[in-house]
Amino acid sequence: MLVIENCRLTWPDFVADYSLSVKAGNLCAVIGPSGGGKTTLLHMIAGFETPQSGALTFQGQDLLPLAPAKRPVAIVFQDHNLFPHLNVAQNVGLGLRPSLRLTDDEKRLIEETLEAVGLEGFGSRRPGEMSGGQRQRVALARALVSGRPLILLDEPFSSLDPTLRRDMILLVDEMRRKRSVTILMTIHTPEDAADVADQMAFVADGRVVASGRPADILNSALAPRIAAAVSDS
Amino acid sequence: MLTLRLPHPGTLVAFAILALVAGGFIALATFDGGTPTLFSIGPYLGRVLAFSIIQATLSTVLSLALGIGLALALVRRSFLGRSIVLAALSTTMVMPTIVAVFAVFAVYGRSGWLAEGLAFLGWNDGFSIFGYPGILIAHVFLNAPFVARITLDGLNQIPAEHWRLATAFGFTPAQIFRHLDWPVLRTELPGIAGLIFLMCFKSFAIVLALGGGPSRSTLEVAIYEALKIDLDFGRVAWLALIQLVICLSMTALLHWAFTRPPVGHTIRSLVRRPDADNRRLKSLDALVLAIAALFIAPLAVSVLTGLRNIPDILEADLLQALLTSLTIAAAAAVIACLLALALASAARRRRLVLRSPRMAAFYDFLPDTLLAVPPFALTAGLFLLIQRFGDPSSAGLILLPLINGLAAVPFAYRFVAPHLLTVEERYGRVAASLGVTGWAKLAIMDWPVLRRPLAAGFALAMALSFGDFGIIALFGGTELVTLPYLLYERLGAYRLDEASAIGLVIVLVAFLLAHASGRLSHAGH
Repeated sequence: MLVIENCRLTWPDFVADYSLSVKAGNLCAVIGPSGGGKTTLLHMIAGFETPQSGALTFQGQDLLPLAPAKRPVAIVFQDHNLFPHLNVAQNVGLGLRPSLRLTDDEKRLIEETLEAVGLEGFGSRRPGEMSGGQRQRVALARALVSGRPLILLDEPFSSLDPTLRRDMILLVDEMRRKRSVTILMTIHTPEDAADVADQMAFVADGRVVASGRPADILNSALAPRIAAAVSDS
Repeated sequence: MLTLRLPHPGTLVAFAILALVAGGFIALATFDGGTPTLFSIGPYLGRVLAFSIIQATLSTVLSLALGIGLALALVRRSFLGRSIVLAALSTTMVMPTIVAVFAVFAVYGRSGWLAEGLAFLGWNDGFSIFGYPGILIAHVFLNAPFVARITLDGLNQIPAEHWRLATAFGFTPAQIFRHLDWPVLRTELPGIAGLIFLMCFKSFAIVLALGGGPSRSTLEVAIYEALKIDLDFGRVAWLALIQLVICLSMTALLHWAFTRPPVGHTIRSLVRRPDADNRRLKSLDALVLAIAALFIAPLAVSVLTGLRNIPDILEADLLQALLTSLTIAAAAAVIACLLALALASAARRRRLVLRSPRMAAFYDFLPDTLLAVPPFALTAGLFLLIQRFGDPSSAGLILLPLINGLAAVPFAYRFVAPHLLTVEERYGRVAASLGVTGWAKLAIMDWPVLRRPLAAGFALAMALSFGDFGIIALFGGTELVTLPYLLYERLGAYRLDEASAIGLVIVLVAFLLAHASGRLSHAGH
């Protein structure tokens, strides 16, 4: 279980105060207007932002004292997930060992994970030679290969076209079921994940305004605000 | 019926430039004065070439080492006055070489600060800055900040996500260098290194003033001496041809191998570098910053000391020289902008209308080739041509703006060409469907977009030309005196106080123009 309790972060022009729980093994879709604090929430869990007060635990372990690299967390961004000078296998390998001194077992694991995300035989390609969807698959493979039980996806497929986006979300769903990882994913279009997510959280003005089953959230009194957030950009 | 169509102005300009260069060379080579064989100047040429290559290599290596170290230290550290240092780095691009020469004299010269300091400590053994020391100091002073500036811009392009990933993976400082900094350096450095080598290889004012002997000269200085001292036009032709071939091949190599398409705008990574806390890197950066400050600051400050001597030089000849410099620089900037505009619009026509990217690439390359043409040889050739057809006494007045203008074309071109392309891509089809062509198109479509970049190009061309101490060395004298020439004269007479004031005036005007250029080119974004 991921538990966020009154985690408060302040900037001169923005205050965030998050409270949210996500059951282990669940997929939680985070929706809301841009600038509302979705990404900040993920960055805080990953350790890029430190709350001044509050508690943040995963499976009972306090995450706040841990450096980003020590947290049981892997993150995938919307863009720039891959280093262009490394090939696909090396990019995935960074999730196992930043030194890239990989054992044969680890290399095999990378191959298998690439296969699992539908990129069999792509190991020696460079990111520059691949499509946007393929690159995000590589980033996902890296998050999976690291074996970290909590995966954060920050608008991972927003730059892909709708069909591809849907395929990727189904892939994420399949992976988390097979590997029983917990996933927090910010998305721009809630309907993409309405049927696969176990939980949906609406974040606006730096707060988790509501959280619950996707159908309940989408049909709640928040519906107009959600629609406005989607058509906003 | 046969219709005669006037060629595109850009085509005419391209032909005119080629004809000018070819005409100059032919005039030199056919000058009736017993052309020497390459063999007869062989040993001398060998010495000059060897010196040119060695000093340029050393200058490049030292500039890269200091510049990269400085860039990495600046990108990892924040300290009071950092933004001032960053702003100062950009200014050395237009620092006139002759002012750098003054700074070297003032700090390291016979009666410079260092010598005085050592004498104060009872150390009176004179050391000479002539030869390698002076030349290397001046070249590194001018180029290391340039390296730092370009490298910093490259490092700032690293996306914020990569820094977050580096944090999330727990990269060590070595891994950060390997996966984040080094890929940037690897793509930027070959181009910068090539450019610096080229500039040092054809260095003129610095080597002329600080070389200190006939064996220690670059080809450019050798050409000047053959012209000014020996009046040996045949030797000039040979030296110029060799210089042209070497510089042209280097320019071509740089242009084709290292010109990358401009990167799209990325959000500057404001994310904190995870290696900023590393102790060893902290000491390393402190060391590098200290070395850079000790090396660069005195040279820069020596120019500022000119302030107190300004009252001493406020005489008629200074104001006359200032006026002459400004006039020549403005004329050169007009020439540079017109040529750049014509070439850029020809390139655009080839690329977008005629769909001929190869010819377009030729037009893109032509401005850069002007960096390779030895100005003295071209000047001498054109001088001989003018002599053949008219009164040579006013040749300087024509040739100075022309040669300076040609040298500034590549800079003006870089401002103008991308904007011209953008306009065409946006409005080209609309204009074609409305039948707006030729001058009307230039006035209605291009001008509003082009005004600012053109003004920016003009200001930069003027800044470069204003501080240039090149062929004025040939024409300068009682009749024609520019500020850089005046500075060179005072340096020759060891009147450092007056030189400092003149240097300050040159630097101020050049920096103001460059600053205006920067403002103009950024205002549109």
